Amino acid sequence: MWEAVGHFFTSLFSPENPLWLYCPLCAVVAVVYKATKFDEPKQIALAALHFFISVTLGVLVLGFILYAVSKVL
Amino acid sequence: MSPQGTQYRSPVMALVLGWVIPGAGHAYAGRWGKAVLFAVLIIGLLVAGFALGGGTNIQPNEWWFGAQLGAGGPLLALTPISQYLMVHGEPDYADPVREMGTLYTAIAGLLNLLVMMDAYVKLAYPSIEGPGKGRDASRAIPERAREGA
Repeated sequence: MWEAVGHFFTSLFSPENPLWLYCPLCAVVAVVYKATKFDEPKQIALAALHFFISVTLGVLVLGFILYAVSKVL
Repeated sequence: MSPQGTQYRSPVMALVLGWVIPGAGHAYAGRWGKAVLFAVLIIGLLVAGFALGGGTNIQPNEWWFGAQLGAGGPLLALTPISQYLMVHGEPDYADPVREMGTLYTAIAGLLNLLVMMDAYVKLAYPSIEGPGKGRDASRAIPERAREGA
């Protein structure tokens, strides 16, 4: 189990994997989306941070589930 | 970042301006702070995606173009450059960074559609307040219903 988790994160941050480019993309989506909902800069920043963390955690969990399924099948 | 003045501003004009230049719809509505924020983020995302794709990932004959088209004016300016580079270069379709660049440009287009709709709604329905004003927009009570109560 822990070996699979380690391999998952190693492959995620390997130099040939461009998945790190997901981070700026998600950050821009979070700020633009929340800026359409809120007016105050502080509210926008907090809501965008919450959105970014939620989506990133969700994508990581989904990615790990798909990775585990691909290893089992 | 609140609207300035009381003169009438057309929601359709905000929609069109927002397509021509991302953020211009909000500038037209008097929301200059948001206009600059949206322009920087959306044009920046589009240009970053264009650069990541080696300048060859904006092609009108690809399905992605439907989403990219939302970015409006800047996209139309980059399209002939992309077509020129496509003819005079050799794009690597298997390159995952190029794919990521294409995704950036498509998301920039879709985000601009959201921003255009926001500018339209803020002018067409000014009485609706968002959650930032302490109330969920979907639960906003129309003026007429409030007066009748």
